[in-house]
Amino acid sequence: MDVTGASPYLSIRRLTKRFGSFTALDDVSLDVFAREFVVFLGPSGCGKTTLLRAIAGLDIQTSGTIHQGGRDVSALPPAERDFGIVFQSYALFPNLTVFDNVGYGLVSRGQPRSQIQARVAELLALVGLPDSGAKYPSQLSGGQQQRVALARALAISPGLLLLDEPLSALDARVRTHLRQELKELQRKLGITTIMVTHDQEEALTLADRIVVMNHGVIDQVGTPTEVYRQPASPFVADFVGTMNFLQASVAEHGVVAIGGRQFWVESLNGMKPGTAATVCIRPEDVKTRNVEPGSENALEVEVKALEFLGSFARARLAPADGGDPEIVADFSINLLRDLKVEPGLKLPVALPPDRLRAFPKA
Amino acid sequence: MTAASAPLIRARASRDDLIMRAGLALFALFLLVVVALPLWALLSKSFQDHNGNFVGLANYLRYVETPALFQSFWNSLFVAIVVTAIVVPLAFIYAYALTRSCMRFKAVFQGLALIPILAPSLLPAISLIYLFGNQGLLKGWLFGQPVYGATGIITAQVFYCFPHALMILVTALSMADQRLYESADALGASRLRKFLTVTLPGAKYGLISTSFVIFTLVITDFGIAKVVGGRFNVLATDIYKQVIGQQNFEMGAVVGVVLLVPALLSFAVDRIVARRQVAQLSARAVPFEPKPRQSRDLALTLFCAAIGLAILGVFAVSVWASFITFWPYNLTLTLKNYAFGNFDPLGWGVYWNSLKMAAASAILGTIAVFLGAYLVEKSKGFHVGRNFVHLLAMIPLAVPGLVLGLSYIFFFNMKGNPLGFLYGTMAILVVNTVAHFYTVSHLTAVTALKQLDAEFEAVSASLKVPVWRTFFRVTVPICLPAILDVAIYFFVNAMTTVSAVIFLYSSETKLASLAIVNMDESGFTAGAAGMATVIVVTSAAVKLAQLGLSRLLSRTQAWRKR
Repeated sequence: MDVTGASPYLSIRRLTKRFGSFTALDDVSLDVFAREFVVFLGPSGCGKTTLLRAIAGLDIQTSGTIHQGGRDVSALPPAERDFGIVFQSYALFPNLTVFDNVGYGLVSRGQPRSQIQARVAELLALVGLPDSGAKYPSQLSGGQQQRVALARALAISPGLLLLDEPLSALDARVRTHLRQELKELQRKLGITTIMVTHDQEEALTLADRIVVMNHGVIDQVGTPTEVYRQPASPFVADFVGTMNFLQASVAEHGVVAIGGRQFWVESLNGMKPGTAATVCIRPEDVKTRNVEPGSENALEVEVKALEFLGSFARARLAPADGGDPEIVADFSINLLRDLKVEPGLKLPVALPPDRLRAFPKA
Repeated sequence: MTAASAPLIRARASRDDLIMRAGLALFALFLLVVVALPLWALLSKSFQDHNGNFVGLANYLRYVETPALFQSFWNSLFVAIVVTAIVVPLAFIYAYALTRSCMRFKAVFQGLALIPILAPSLLPAISLIYLFGNQGLLKGWLFGQPVYGATGIITAQVFYCFPHALMILVTALSMADQRLYESADALGASRLRKFLTVTLPGAKYGLISTSFVIFTLVITDFGIAKVVGGRFNVLATDIYKQVIGQQNFEMGAVVGVVLLVPALLSFAVDRIVARRQVAQLSARAVPFEPKPRQSRDLALTLFCAAIGLAILGVFAVSVWASFITFWPYNLTLTLKNYAFGNFDPLGWGVYWNSLKMAAASAILGTIAVFLGAYLVEKSKGFHVGRNFVHLLAMIPLAVPGLVLGLSYIFFFNMKGNPLGFLYGTMAILVVNTVAHFYTVSHLTAVTALKQLDAEFEAVSASLKVPVWRTFFRVTVPICLPAILDVAIYFFVNAMTTVSAVIFLYSSETKLASLAIVNMDESGFTAGAAGMATVIVVTSAAVKLAQLGLSRLLSRTQAWRKR
């Protein structure tokens, strides 16, 4: 999504939240643009939910400002902000029907009954539950409850939709299905959306931009491809996808030494020779087909172990002549068959320089 | 820009927040007036002489130096310890039978054991007099020993305290994880070893808590000692004698403070124990299912039958006696003992007073308790205010009724107290009863509120729905069963209570439970038994109505079905 040039819809500046001596958010700044789907991703306790609750005004920050649609909402209580929210628990009112739940925010706006009825029907159709208005939440499945919660949040046509781990209470199959629906709905309505999750797959499939958080700070903001391909830190590299971490030292410009072997690296992020470094490569980026001994960054390895994972197999590889580095690499089932890969097989692999990312050793 | 220069944000309170904070402040004031200030009045009175001059510890010194008074302290302690030692093991076995065996008729046994709760504590004492008193049917069983005194008090207390112990222990024993027993079986543990290593440790906190609750109940109960205490003085009767008999308010205050000590101690221990108790039942625990074992089930059935029949028998004696012409010489049945006008100037009026008082306490008390609990649980920020109100709400549990009643005398008679006009009215009885039974009701309401999704208020705020609307539309309907529980609790206790209100009634506002004390004092034991019977029947009817209502709730509210 091209966001350059436009002025942000939501502008977060230098947000800090302390609970006693614990700093949950540490000087966080972020812009979210209109119609964008932004996902806060991180492990539990990283501050992603705290940030969401600060944006909602549910737990107001210690310092820093939030502007929404040009309005300073930093100190406003939730009722004076403009958002709809879906919680992990959905927080549906169990004693009200689906219809009354969805219409809950409309009734107190003094709209005529017929108008409310039409709006609720429209929303229920939108989330694919046109006939469930008379049911109670406990009569619905988890996925259906989630849709009702979404319809209720959308009913008042908020400028901002906040989703706090909305899919994590569902089982895997329903989750995948709802993920697609959520994405389509957001596209169709064009509503600016922020979602919190600890599930990287959810973040990669849903987000226009991912905000990766750790220990109360933002580690990286980028599109799913950027975050996956060019992680900004070893933490991001580790949290999103699977990654080999190899201990290395910078040998000369564009070259690192790993276990006495030299490898070309496209970018060293400005590290000087002699610096201790961590070099990363994803298992699927290890080149296993058509590698000639002696080609760039090639290495003769022996297959130590194979783990069958359905459409591919993950192999643990060690240099054939011993020593470092040990590498995990993915083999497609095709390749597995063609090369007759099994433990003990020796073969040449290569670590493509444009796939290696080097970070200063932490 | 340096890190320090980001602007600090002071959250702006919403209209809802302001309403709730104002509500909390009002509640703090309410609880201060009905609980804290009266206790303060009592405490300061104990340090004053007749003329209100500060005399330091002089009253306390006189108390310790007067053997007749100080002896009561040891008497109370002795009775409380003996009763606790008898009741707790009996109730434990009974609770074990109800929760861990395949005994039949569990519901019947549970119902039998809970009968005493429906009656004033005076009732088992009156029954004892009919059985073992000077004209007792079974007088010979005591080998010439009088029932009046420690024996009578202890026996009546055992009956009165049994259901209270049973309720806590049933709760403690019903929380068990089947998997622990299966593991023990897999490891080849014997039955005794399973009992000692799994069952007992699981019920440990329940047992400790029960012991302290019973100890406090006995030491603070007034009715039983009044009826069968004879010349065996205990703290509770001393207060009454000092204040009502001798008009020695200062000494009454001292005894009140002394009575407060064991109650406070046991309260503190119970709190500490409760905090130590970790959740025994994780979400993944498998509920315990007892397996039949004939020998054990039969033994437990016999045990429960013996205890259940004893309880039923003791209560039946009073009921029966209330219909007897002249105990024990003319056993023909009569209704003359229910012509209460012959024993008390107000006659049946005391019963209508009780009904009015109980209904008012149930309605006003429930509204107060639920609103207060809601404000404590659901208001945002303002931690100081919330904790303060919660703390105030916990005090009544530690304050014996007699002490609270006496405190009210001092506080509402204070010169210049603008609330003084309440003294001697029905209103003060209601306020006092609400305050007396506030804590348990508060905890019931808090527990119910904690089970609601914490985000209901956040969702409402995001939908711009005012907090009071969600309160009436969502919170109250979901909590109706708990609200009903609280109302019934207030009603039954208001019907049966003696201790606090005995200091506060006037000739027009005398209650049925107090009339029992008066009739017994004047020797109209049959009338006292009759009035006690009327109270039991009323309480039982209310309890049955509650059962019916909760059934109706679950039938008419479709959403409660899962």
